Amino acid sequence: MTQLHPETYREAARKAIGDPVLQKALAGLQARFGRGAAEAYRRLPEGPHLRHTAHEIRERAVAHLDVLLERLAEKIRQNGGHVFFASDATDAVEYCIKVARRHGVRRVVKGKSMVTEEIDLNEKLAAAGIDAVETDLGEYIIQLAGEKPSHIIAPAIHKTRYDIAELFVKNMGIPYTTDPPALTRAARKALREEFLAADMGISGVNMACAETGHITTVSNEGNIRMATTLPRIHMAFMGMERIVGRLDEYEILLRLLCRGAAAQTMATYVSYTAGPRRPEDSDGPEAFHLVVIDNGRSRILADPRFREILYCIRCAACLNVCPVYGKIGGHAYGFAYSGPIGAVVTPLLTGINRARHLCQGETLCGACMEACPVAIDLPRMLLALRETLAYGDAFWKTTPANPLEGLAFKVWSRLTANRRTWECFLKAAALGQRLFPKKGNRLRRLPPPFHGWTRKRDFPSLAPETFLARWRKNEIEVAKDIP
Amino acid sequence: MECMTRTASPSKVTLFIPCLVDALWPEVAEAMVRILRHLGLSLDCPADQTCCGQAAFNGGYRREARRAARRFIEIFEGAQCIVCPSGSCVHMVRRHYPGLFREAHPWRRRAEAVASRTYELTEFLVDVLNVKDLGARFSGRITYHDSCHLLRGLGVKEQPRSLLRHVTGADFVEMENADSCCGFGGTFSLKYPDISAAMVNAKVDHILSSGARTVVACDAGCLINMAGAMSRRGISVNALHIAQVLAGVDFQRTCPF
Amino acid sequence: MIPPDQKAFLGRIRQALGHAPHESRNGSHLFMQGPSREELQILERYRQRTAKDREELLEQLMEAAKPVHLCVRRLPDPEAAGAAIAALVQEKAPEPDTVKQVVAWRHGLIDGLDLHLLPEQSAVRVHRTPPLDPLMDPARRHAEREAQRRAIAKAHMGVTAADFCMADTATLVLRARPGQPRSVALLPPVHVAVITLDQILWDMKELFALLRWEARFAAQGLSRYMAFISGPSKTADIEATMVHGAHGPREVHLFVVASAPGRLQYVGQRSTFSALTK
Repeated sequence: MTQLHPETYREAARKAIGDPVLQKALAGLQARFGRGAAEAYRRLPEGPHLRHTAHEIRERAVAHLDVLLERLAEKIRQNGGHVFFASDATDAVEYCIKVARRHGVRRVVKGKSMVTEEIDLNEKLAAAGIDAVETDLGEYIIQLAGEKPSHIIAPAIHKTRYDIAELFVKNMGIPYTTDPPALTRAARKALREEFLAADMGISGVNMACAETGHITTVSNEGNIRMATTLPRIHMAFMGMERIVGRLDEYEILLRLLCRGAAAQTMATYVSYTAGPRRPEDSDGPEAFHLVVIDNGRSRILADPRFREILYCIRCAACLNVCPVYGKIGGHAYGFAYSGPIGAVVTPLLTGINRARHLCQGETLCGACMEACPVAIDLPRMLLALRETLAYGDAFWKTTPANPLEGLAFKVWSRLTANRRTWECFLKAAALGQRLFPKKGNRLRRLPPPFHGWTRKRDFPSLAPETFLARWRKNEIEVAKDIP
Repeated sequence: MECMTRTASPSKVTLFIPCLVDALWPEVAEAMVRILRHLGLSLDCPADQTCCGQAAFNGGYRREARRAARRFIEIFEGAQCIVCPSGSCVHMVRRHYPGLFREAHPWRRRAEAVASRTYELTEFLVDVLNVKDLGARFSGRITYHDSCHLLRGLGVKEQPRSLLRHVTGADFVEMENADSCCGFGGTFSLKYPDISAAMVNAKVDHILSSGARTVVACDAGCLINMAGAMSRRGISVNALHIAQVLAGVDFQRTCPF
Repeated sequence: MIPPDQKAFLGRIRQALGHAPHESRNGSHLFMQGPSREELQILERYRQRTAKDREELLEQLMEAAKPVHLCVRRLPDPEAAGAAIAALVQEKAPEPDTVKQVVAWRHGLIDGLDLHLLPEQSAVRVHRTPPLDPLMDPARRHAEREAQRRAIAKAHMGVTAADFCMADTATLVLRARPGQPRSVALLPPVHVAVITLDQILWDMKELFALLRWEARFAAQGLSRYMAFISGPSKTADIEATMVHGAHGPREVHLFVVASAPGRLQYVGQRSTFSALTK
């Protein structure tokens, strides 16, 4: 399902922009969560500055990942849990299938997990004859529709109640209704049966705490609690960076996560799991497996330019404020991660040249950085990615993405190195612009690389004389009083 | 903030003219000149300045940007106080120039020195000169668009608003999502014109629903983008640089559209 | 002893961070050896808490409960709480897939609610969830566990205690213990939790300070499985319309008992199997 190409990006973006239902849903989502998160940060007792404290916590954790993961694994094993360290997607998937086969698992229920999207777990389980049912209502809806999530915490925002009604009638045989509570009840009933019948529950990990040896999962629906309580086996997948050292550090991150993700002070459910149930416990899984996934992360860790992206806690706050995401939605990003976080992390995980359009297709407006609960400087990393594409980069094995553009900037550099040359260039351009259709002072059509602009916008024509030329000639009027 | 040295008011100001203003919209620079002279400041404008290099920098072309930065620093480092009618150009100089040079490099200190003396016009007026009322007049309803680098990069939010509130006759209203990006993003608007156009059209819709007849901003890039979209859609809302409003110039004649 | 997957994995991380790949680093400075100054203050505040402070915490809790739709009621004693539950049982109709049955934890405070009177009063069955004997034959234990699970899945109301409730966010804190299945607070459409006034804490900082350093809580720590529950299950996945009861309970009621007989104080902390089966 990975769709990474500038043209597919442009095409998906065009499609999204032309979909009025999606546009309305995206605007609503951003108005609610984007503004809400900012307000929630302001109301923190410590104030919005807590984001920077959280940044330091994440920085410390990532700098000591080996120590923290070692401690976590030790604690979980003490409790009778299993920990597997997967160096890539294949490792992780194979481990999952191996455990599933050993326990005779046929049906799997899943709580939302971005890292399992990243490793394409569902498809690979299906290929191994294991059905994995997504149980987050939004994920369930898009799974029925055969699609991919378009938002980290609101995966089905692109679906209307009418789409969902049709899907449910077709797949569950319920009488037609477009009433959200009735549709939710229908899904509850269908999924309840899945939960009770499943042999294995798969979840992600919102954050692990090394000190106590717990992984925690956060949800509002309760599906993750179901998936990690009812089936015989619980397998949790975590990106290797999703850990902090201490409980007091965890406390700060959880508060910020809830605020960043959904402008809540606390999510409805937060579960702390340290291992399987004990023999005398009435319920809970009899086996617990934690799969820690690298899949390209240690490479990012090794590069100080991009290490900061590993501080991310996948709350989606940046999606909720990004003006580009607000127009093109999640699918255009072509990978598990969308929005500003996707624009940085996808190229790093899948190849910078291949996903070059993601880091170039952003305006550097900085809204993401202000919304990030751990104050990650996403614009800085977008620029650093662009630099690897401008000149090529040995560490990331990138090649110059657009030699023509590179040449253009070299020429530009020459032209602007001298005022006289620059002015000659502007004069030539002023002459050249006469060739193009004009209306009054506006240019209606321009040649490449400006032709895209004039498809939907006019462009001002160059002034007959630059400001500096007139300044030199002392033509700038001496001020009278401002009227 | 490292740049906010509120020493005695400077008497001499060096003009930093953004390349877009210089070539496409010189009226903005003229308006700035008019304002600063009105305030009794003596002005200097280095005649060989060209461009701060922001477009190259944002495209990832750091080497070319560094070359532009060196040139800029050489031209401007003698200046006491550098003023520019653009948030994003000042952002480039103040926030990005020092980082173009290694910590110990002699250019780093020179870049920091120039960065600390460079101001965006409205922050210069309000924070340095402590001027909010220029005695300007205007008639009609106006709204203000926050440009990204000015707002989030330099933290300038209230300064332009308080200047606009002091313009006699101007009915200042806030539009919805005033702080969201207009979709210009330099070369972004050329590489991804459809996305950029969708963004600017959303911005234009907010301008329209505010009921304002004039939209004001502190960056020529945003204004050219918004004005270009409105012109194509046949909308007769004026896009004006804040300097033009404050200088009270006849905008009908000097607006690029 | 270290599995090869872990060795290679952590080696890569150490290398990426610029350290020797095969040497474990000392990380003791990353963890707390004792309570921080802030935590000491929090613990002191907890220990000095007066009856008046507790009433204030309850007020704060009730305020925070509103936006998350947690229904909080203050009741004078366990008897009144039992009566309130009986009234709720009467009032709440079962959902299509549940029957009018109550499933209740085996827990000191819940035992004191006299729920055994319910069948006589209203012909509603009450299932209790006795702890499983770890020495029992595994097949029998499995059968008992399955029977409990069926009863929980069928019941329309689940009654639990809680370890704490955080006033700041209206969050119940439940730690796993034998005889107290987590699914009682999850599967039935209505969840009723009963706590005593002194179980209300200020916030997560206080909770974690107690779980880390206050001896009688720290022994169990966060336990094998701890759940935070803030109101009913929610979803807004269909056109951003808020719906309660997506998967978990549609309603959550919290009864705060103002004064419980001495023997019930902190009974929730008696966690061992023997203590509960005496």
